[in-house]
Order: sequence, then structure tokens, then C-alpha cells
Amino acid sequence: MEIEKIEDEKRTETETSTQSDSNVKQVVDFALEAGRILLKNGGEIFRVEETITRICQHFGVEHVDIFTLSHGIFVSAENEKGDVYTRVKHIPLSGAHLGIVAEVNELSRQIAEGKVTISEAKEYLEEIDRIPPSRARAQVLGAGVGAACFGYLMGATLTESLVTFFIGCFVYLWVLLAKRFHLSKIIINIFGGIIITLCAIFTRQIFPSVLLRLDGMIIGAIMPLIPGMAFTNAIRDIADSDFLSGTVRMMDALMVFVYIAVGVGIVLITYNNITGGFIL
Amino acid sequence: MTTQEILSNVFCSFMGTVGFAIMYNVPSKYYFGCGVTGMAGWIMFLIVNAQNYITSAVASFFGAFVVVLMSRILSVRMKCPITIFLISGIFPLVPGVGIYNTVYYIVTNQLTQAALKGIESFKIAFAIVMGIVIVVSIPRHVFHKVYYWFAAGKD
Repeated sequence: MEIEKIEDEKRTETETSTQSDSNVKQVVDFALEAGRILLKNGGEIFRVEETITRICQHFGVEHVDIFTLSHGIFVSAENEKGDVYTRVKHIPLSGAHLGIVAEVNELSRQIAEGKVTISEAKEYLEEIDRIPPSRARAQVLGAGVGAACFGYLMGATLTESLVTFFIGCFVYLWVLLAKRFHLSKIIINIFGGIIITLCAIFTRQIFPSVLLRLDGMIIGAIMPLIPGMAFTNAIRDIADSDFLSGTVRMMDALMVFVYIAVGVGIVLITYNNITGGFIL
Repeated sequence: MTTQEILSNVFCSFMGTVGFAIMYNVPSKYYFGCGVTGMAGWIMFLIVNAQNYITSAVASFFGAFVVVLMSRILSVRMKCPITIFLISGIFPLVPGVGIYNTVYYIVTNQLTQAALKGIESFKIAFAIVMGIVIVVSIPRHVFHKVYYWFAAGKD
């Protein structure tokens, strides 16, 4: 009788411990997945850490340590018995989808209010991860409008802005196409710069009677290529004292500027040498 | 500044910001908020930049200040992350063209110009950091209180 009772107690103990083990695993995996989606789509370090902590604590994992970099997350969680579960996730620096950031934020808000269970949350997160980007047509038009408007703000004339609209559309079309074939950032941006400058030169050659400055057109047209999001996120990470991630993102953004300038520079220098060289 | 210039600046900063919001896949219900944020920041930048003895870095600081303030108010109002409004709205102020020019001058070996532009861009970037830090350090509940106080006053 006594022995049976002890065995019974032992069994329940092991059952609860395995349950809590799997619970810790499940929760940490889910939280890490949410963090990965946030970081991949342009969330800042602070938000990623806050989301993971919030999810873990709501689902009963009290002791959790997170170390987030611009391209990786390290999570280590501990259950009541002192067993530690650790995961590392590498997340390459990549695109921007603020809609997904908003959705994950909404999900984490609902979890904190206790409206969803973990299995529901998992399904919802998978759905969020599959949200497609906006329609390509809309993105191309947006790039054109953005290029034209910012070109005008930076001091281009009205006719130059009009040309910039078309160049901006065209260059973003190239970016989308290149992304579909998974070309590297270096190629995308160098050729982007080349395309912009060639288009600007051609337009000036076709309409010699209209006053079009190359400078005005090029500055507007590079706007869709400028890594505004990486740059802003870098600045925000630095403002949060996440200097390591901030520096990495800043470097990422600066390299893109170098590629664009190399692309534009190659064409302009060649053109100036061919036409007998006036310095822009 | 003529009326036409003012109107064209308002229009262009609004439309430009919305254009970039589309590029960054912001959901369509936030387009208007993004546009207004970008517009407010740029107008503030222009107003401050027009004064004598004020560099573009200081003007960028005030512009960034307005952008972050607007983003925080809008993110409380529309219950969404601040990132959406901040990234699109700050785009007109980010010294993208300055950095591009810096690198371009380096590539074409005009080093004096490059140093000039580079330091100016760095100053602007730092001014934006300052603007963000100051507004972000205001605690969250202050915004909730102020916002709900205004909302209650309207009803």
C-alpha cells in the first residue's frame, strides 16, 4: 500500500515535470518564432525583446533571458526545477514588411490580454508569416510617386520631377525583378545606379530643348533604392543604446549607399569622358 | 515663400511619404496617418530651417521631434506599433541624399566636398537620434492620459 502510494506520487511528479518541460519548449519556440518574424520584417531590437518576454511570461515561463542582435536571437529559459532550455536563431538581414510587424504586435497584445491560447496563437502566427507583400503594381507606382515628390523637395524642377517619376517606377521594377531571382544586394544596387543614370542621360538626349539637370533627376530617382528603413532602424537602435545592432544595420545601410554611388559614378564618369568632360 | 511653394511642399511631402509607406507594405488604413506625419515633420523642418543662424542639423532635430511626437500620438490612437508611422514619416528628414552625395564625391575623388557633406550628414543623423531619444523617453502613460483627455474633451 505504502509503496504503491509512493510510486503513484512519483508518476504524477514525472508527468507534471514532462508537461512543464514540453510547455517551456513550446512557449519558447513560439516566442522565438514571433521574434524571428518581427526581426525579419523590420522590427527594432527593443520590440523583439519585449514581445518575447511578454509571450513567455504570459504562458508561465518566468525565468527567460534574451540576447538579440540585428541578425540573431538567443533565448534561454528555465523551469521551476532548474532545467534550462536554450535556442539560437540566425535571421539574415532582409526585407521590410511593416504590415506584418503591426500584425505580430496585435497578436502579442491579444496574448497579453489572455484572449488566445497558445495553439490558436501558433496558427495565427503561421497565417501572419504568409501575408504576401502589397501588389507589385502598387509598389512600383508608390516608388515612382515617392521618387518624384522627394526629388521635388530636394530642389528638382517640375519637369525633372515628372521624368523622375518614370525613372523611379522603372528602377523599382528592376529591384522587384532582381529580388525574384534572388540577386545579391550588391548587384541590385550597382545596376540600379547604372539604370538610373542611363535613363537620365537618355531623357536629356531625347529632349535637348528642355532644361533638365542630371543632378536633379538622379537625386530623386535614387530615393527608392535608399535604405531608409535600415537607416532609421539603425538610428533607433542606437537611440535605445543597442550599439552593436545599430552599428551592424548602419553598416548595412552605408554599403548600399556605396553601391548606388559606384553605379552612378561609373556611368557619369564614362559619359563625361566620352562627351569631352564637363564636371557635374 | 510664396503660397504656391508652401502648397507644393505640403503636397509633395504628403504624397512622397505615402508612396514610401506603400513600398514598405504598410496596411492601407494607416496611409493617411503616415502622410500626415511626414508632412508635419517636413513643414517643421522648413520653418526652422528658414530662420537665420540655424543649421540644417538643428532644423532636422525639430523635424524629427515633431515626427516622433506625431507617431506616438497616432500609435496610441490607432493601436499599432509606432514603427509604422515613424519609418515612413522620418523619410523626408533622413539624410539619404547627403550620404549618397558623400559617397559619390568619394567615388569621383572630390574629397573636400565629400568631407563637407559627410560631416553635415553625420550631424543630421545625430540630431535625429536626439529628437527620437527625447520623445521616446516620455513615459507611455503620459500619452494615454493626454490622448484620452483630448478625446473626452471632444465628446
